[in-house]
Amino acid sequence: MYDFSILPRDTIVAMNLALALFVFAFISFFIIILYALIKTNIYTKKHKDKLNLICDVAYFHERGKREDQEDSLYISPMDNAELTGIVAACSDGMGGLLNGEVVSKYVTDSLRERFPFKFDDQEENAAIISEISNKIYEEYHLGAGATLVMVHIFDDYMNFYSLGDSNIILVRNNRATLLNYKQNYITLMIRKFAEGGIDTADAYRDTRAKGLIDFVGNLKCKVLKTSKPIRLVENDIIIVSSDGVTDSIPLNRLVNHIHFDQNAAGIARSIKYGVKTRKNPRQDNYSAIVIKMKRSYV
Amino acid sequence: MIEYYTFKHRGDALEYLDEVYLTLIPNMTVAIFYGSHLDEGARSQTLLFSEILNSEEGAKSIPDLNAVMEECLDNDSEYLLLRSVDNGIECYRRGQVSAKIIRNGQISILPNGFFCLSSDDRLVCATSNFYKYLSDEGILADALVAESCGEWMNMMIRRISDQNQLKCGNLSAVTLKLDN
Repeated sequence: MYDFSILPRDTIVAMNLALALFVFAFISFFIIILYALIKTNIYTKKHKDKLNLICDVAYFHERGKREDQEDSLYISPMDNAELTGIVAACSDGMGGLLNGEVVSKYVTDSLRERFPFKFDDQEENAAIISEISNKIYEEYHLGAGATLVMVHIFDDYMNFYSLGDSNIILVRNNRATLLNYKQNYITLMIRKFAEGGIDTADAYRDTRAKGLIDFVGNLKCKVLKTSKPIRLVENDIIIVSSDGVTDSIPLNRLVNHIHFDQNAAGIARSIKYGVKTRKNPRQDNYSAIVIKMKRSYV
Repeated sequence: MIEYYTFKHRGDALEYLDEVYLTLIPNMTVAIFYGSHLDEGARSQTLLFSEILNSEEGAKSIPDLNAVMEECLDNDSEYLLLRSVDNGIECYRRGQVSAKIIRNGQISILPNGFFCLSSDDRLVCATSNFYKYLSDEGILADALVAESCGEWMNMMIRRISDQNQLKCGNLSAVTLKLDN
């Protein structure tokens, strides 16, 4: 044991003072930490919505070697996106039919008029697309048509809708995946061949098999739609495009044109110049909306 | 209600050596044997696998059934056993045969053991040769778009076909939707 009584009185006072200051500092530190934790918790709850992923959006819209621009794009307003979500759509007028540019524009204009869409009511949204299709049918009786791909992103989730053979591509972990399947005869032929237990090479040999079995402009079309939304993660890249893009840059080569530190505008520019440098003499219209999911730090 | 769709295709192999077993009574049981993966004795091992499942051993619990499988089959045999129990599913996998579950817009591999299911969950069980040509995002998107298990399977087959025209060895898979 220490005998403090032999210490000078001034030293004992100094030691007591030091001890008091230490206790005061310790209590202050504890209070500050507690206060910071409480404030952080309140702040996180208050800004919960803003801590979700945010969409960085860019697009390109090119004519290629065609005389007319038959692709049409729609991007919903961003100013109220935390309530309505973001809708991005691409419609591609069907080659070989008349009024492709009129029909594709009609499709995207109709979507703009019907915005906002209910995120969790996929049936109703599909019915809206179906209604647009029926109106085109009544006007042109299969004399004109278009494809449509549309994504609806809300919080960290995405629903998508598709008619025809345009593309909704998800790039995740350096791999590009086509989310919607193409509604053409090849799909039907593959089903038959697979059920018969044989390979499907013949399904791809017939170029007519690329013909669409459903599209906007068909009566009572079947809209492909997600029944439940897909969960998105940070750095996911969603590309909503016409087939003019993937005709020139196949899906497995698409990631070669993307640098993952790029923003949406940079990715859109890279893909656009990727198609352009292919110098395809029969380059179709090529258009795409690029959405990059980013984490917001408020 | 249980909805399912099974797919068996020999691909470009001379014969189909995998096995897909499915029974609904008393409990739904799915078993997939990856026979085409074996270098030797694939046919006999596949037949043995089927025999065990069709015998009284097949009614045993998954851990007991697995013990029988381990005792009777070669060490390099690969298979998946899956059975619905109460409000969930019991799973045991050995080797490169696995089940994937689609839940809340995400996809993940079903672990060994018991797993509770909710009404919107969908499952796909397949050999690694089937998964090899698919991405998780593709499987997920198809599951969420498809209106039935058959449609979901056909969408995945289309994806595989787009890469290799189904010239890729045995393909074995089951898609499932269990509404509790």
